[in-house]
Amino acid sequence: MKLRIKQYAKIYFVTLILVVVFDSIGTLQFDVGAGQVVILPMVFLIIAGSILGPQILKFFTKEEAELGGSLVLITLAPFMAKMGISAGANLSKLVAVGPALLLQEFGNLATILFSLPLALLLGLGREAIGACYSVNRDSNLALTTDIYGPNAPETKGTFGVYIVGSVVGTIFIGLLSSIVASWNIFHPLALGMASGVGSGVMMSASTGTLGRIYPEFAEDIILMGGVSDMLTGITGIYMAVFVAFPFTKWLYNILEPKIGVEARAAKKAKRTLAKGEVK
Amino acid sequence: MKKIISEQAFLLILVSTIIIMTNILGYSMPIRDSILGVGVLAIIALMGLIINKIMSRFIKLPAMMYVSLLGLLLASPVSPVSELVIGTTSNVAFLAPTTALGAFAGISLGKDIKDFAKMSWKLVILTIFVITGTFLGSVTIAHVVLKLTGAI
Repeated sequence: MKLRIKQYAKIYFVTLILVVVFDSIGTLQFDVGAGQVVILPMVFLIIAGSILGPQILKFFTKEEAELGGSLVLITLAPFMAKMGISAGANLSKLVAVGPALLLQEFGNLATILFSLPLALLLGLGREAIGACYSVNRDSNLALTTDIYGPNAPETKGTFGVYIVGSVVGTIFIGLLSSIVASWNIFHPLALGMASGVGSGVMMSASTGTLGRIYPEFAEDIILMGGVSDMLTGITGIYMAVFVAFPFTKWLYNILEPKIGVEARAAKKAKRTLAKGEVK
Repeated sequence: MKKIISEQAFLLILVSTIIIMTNILGYSMPIRDSILGVGVLAIIALMGLIINKIMSRFIKLPAMMYVSLLGLLLASPVSPVSELVIGTTSNVAFLAPTTALGAFAGISLGKDIKDFAKMSWKLVILTIFVITGTFLGSVTIAHVVLKLTGAI
């Protein structure tokens, strides 16, 4: 424990310095053609933290990097408490929102059907489960780390999508919502609801873009997005534990032997062998 | 059990001080409100972790579920302390923990940065698919249900 305290202290003071520096700089925001790019201080901290790690600058050892992983969960615990409080405070509002808002939460499951086959074709292993079961925002990262532990392949999958999403998520969802809006098949209110994917920043980027496309619905879009985002924050965790994770694992177990990396390698080997025999 | 809880309490105090810094510096919240608010959140978090330790003897569920459920119950209209809990934590920004989170995530990432660099383009494609799938799934269901219920 003594050695551990020393290592925690090192991580702690470095983090404190980085936080003070980058929080003083604050969130960077600028407009690009299709929408707004929002870069939170956390993006710089991810970069700084990983550069200091054992594979580049070697300031942190491998064990210290592992301790960093266990701190991720501890940091997310107060965040989950805050999520719960905001849900409890708005409970009556959430009960009143009606069936469309509640049912569209199940739409979040569609992404599993969509992305799990792709992840397997790209050659991911068990990382695919973590990467595909949800849109992988903060509460999902907390959940995967909690269930599988900070060093599991599933957590690496969630982690990867979480980090990429932190960097490109806001710009991409702004772009996506304007493309989908241009198809003219979905009602602006439905688009507003879909914007609430469980990340406040991404929700604002999407509803902001939609508000500009449909100025007459702007207020309702932002309201729907906000409520849906909150709803995802509450239902998301239960949905993940009881539906999304079991479903993703089930689908993984079916698909992996068919299109997983090893299965494809085995097929290829068989084919070359068959060719050899013909010769 | 005592040892685990005291270790988690110690770590929660550590990260709470960083979250307080972010809340003050990054989100310009008052110092007193920040300390009080993050303190309440940390206590709820610790209680959730303790409940998880006790419950894990009977049923294995993620600790984060207890933390979020406890927050929900304490802030719901039936709770006698709801006003206190909502009031004290209202000046903690939702994104306040993310800066510290970024640092720890980065430090943890540092040990397999080369693996991630190798996977990077795959992760970018996958992320785009995951976001698109979630958005399209939600918008389709929302639109159909709004139509069926006659709301639009």
